[in-house]
Amino acid sequence: MDDDRTMILAASPAAAVCALAEQVLARHAAGAVQWIQPPRLALVQLRVAESVAETAFNACDVLVAEARVELAGAFGFGMVLGDDLAHAAALAVLDAAARAPGGDPALEAALAPLGQALRAAQQRRFAVSAATRVMFETF
Amino acid sequence: MGYIAARGGTAAILNAEVLVEHYRLRGDTPPLTLGQVQHQLRHAVGRAMHEGALYAPQLAALAVKQAEGDSIEASFLLRAYRATLPRVMATLPAQGRSMQCARRISAAFRDIPGGQLLGPSTDYQIRLLRAALARECDEDIARIATLVEGFAATHAGPDVGHFPKVVDHLRAHQMVVPVPAAVDDAEPFDITRQALQFPCPRSARLQALAQADTGSLLTYAYSSVRGYGDAHPTLAELRYGHLPVAVAHPVDGSPVWIGELEATECETVSKAHSVRAGDAAPRFHLGYGFTVGQGEVKAISMAILDSVLTQVRSGGLSGESGPAADEEFVLLHSDGIEASGFTAHYKLPHYVTFEADLQVLERAKRHAAANAGGRLGRALAAAFAADALTEGTTADA
Repeated sequence: MDDDRTMILAASPAAAVCALAEQVLARHAAGAVQWIQPPRLALVQLRVAESVAETAFNACDVLVAEARVELAGAFGFGMVLGDDLAHAAALAVLDAAARAPGGDPALEAALAPLGQALRAAQQRRFAVSAATRVMFETF
Repeated sequence: MGYIAARGGTAAILNAEVLVEHYRLRGDTPPLTLGQVQHQLRHAVGRAMHEGALYAPQLAALAVKQAEGDSIEASFLLRAYRATLPRVMATLPAQGRSMQCARRISAAFRDIPGGQLLGPSTDYQIRLLRAALARECDEDIARIATLVEGFAATHAGPDVGHFPKVVDHLRAHQMVVPVPAAVDDAEPFDITRQALQFPCPRSARLQALAQADTGSLLTYAYSSVRGYGDAHPTLAELRYGHLPVAVAHPVDGSPVWIGELEATECETVSKAHSVRAGDAAPRFHLGYGFTVGQGEVKAISMAILDSVLTQVRSGGLSGESGPAADEEFVLLHSDGIEASGFTAHYKLPHYVTFEADLQVLERAKRHAAANAGGRLGRALAAAFAADALTEGTTADA
């Protein structure tokens, strides 16, 4: 579920993810968030698994926004491709909420529509390319 | 080589930089927006990213704008920016198998598992200038949007673009060399932290090729295919699409997905050879290419060179000859930023070093005249000897 959660939240619109983080914070006391690493820009090195010898290599760096928080005693980590610091901060808050003892059932419930919207967007993106499916004839 | 710093010229240098901006803007056209550059010049943006070794589409658009479309300059700007940020970790190895493909073709097989998608491609387009593009207007944009809406409606379905790899199909049928038994799972080499030494690890080769200048890779690969080598590649698979990327969670190491990036991946197979008795069974050799963005020429060139260099290393029956078979030569001369930087430095003052060259030229002229023979030559030789004696005396003093 963590796998699905992070994939949905990283690929969903930042505004929707930030709104979700606001809902989580509303359930906590003011000042419950401690920044371990305030939102910042950073690099991660893109490592790629190549298919010939099945080894990994470093292809390039990728610009990311990153944040680390402590929310009511739970550690949260947020990172997203690009430079959206608010998105990274929201991801960190949501990670902390999900990792807190007992998790956050409201967050789990809120993920479902985001996941459906993301899936629909990916299906539509592929449907556009599917129009170029080709079967060449050979002589 | 010895260089000497020049001083002064600050006002002229600053004014020259103003002129660069003036030349960019003097056409009295609206300034380019970064959105226009990012989305309408996407190949220029992609090239800046893979040659600059930094995936950041908006920054790459800015770099392309600032560089006025000069791809090497744009990639230089990105690589310089990269040096200003901390690198906090590496991603988990991204798998081409997990790419959501927008394009996926094979020149080796017509019927590949999952089928072929041309995707966004001009491969079958006649290269004629489209005069209508010069008058593109809102109606044209709406027309394309309507067509694409029709595509989406007609082909709607549950698929998101995951496809099996052709190379897995080749392996299943024992047509290509197997994965080495001792898979090198050591930490990949990082050419941004360690100098290349030869022979270099495979990970170093692939990293160097992935950030190399597209034109350089194309030249080396083309030379090997055309006759200065023995490469005869066939494209097993070329795919372009969205590649999901994850890092390890700092607490428990579980995957944390951080988004997806556009990437191109390809595998080539080389021609098969008969083998000597006692050798392994005949197989195709493979080459691997990867770029961020839709960089197909680069990915294919990289795969060809990877195949050639692997065969050189393994003592294969093709690929041993030609400039492209020299790994050190290829990898040390294909970085566009290093190469252009060296070339560009010739524009900077070399007055002292050139003064030394002038002195050498003068001596060479005197030597040539002195060796010309005849009465005049003997006189010049005597004069040169006296001159040399004087120089020596002066130096000794």
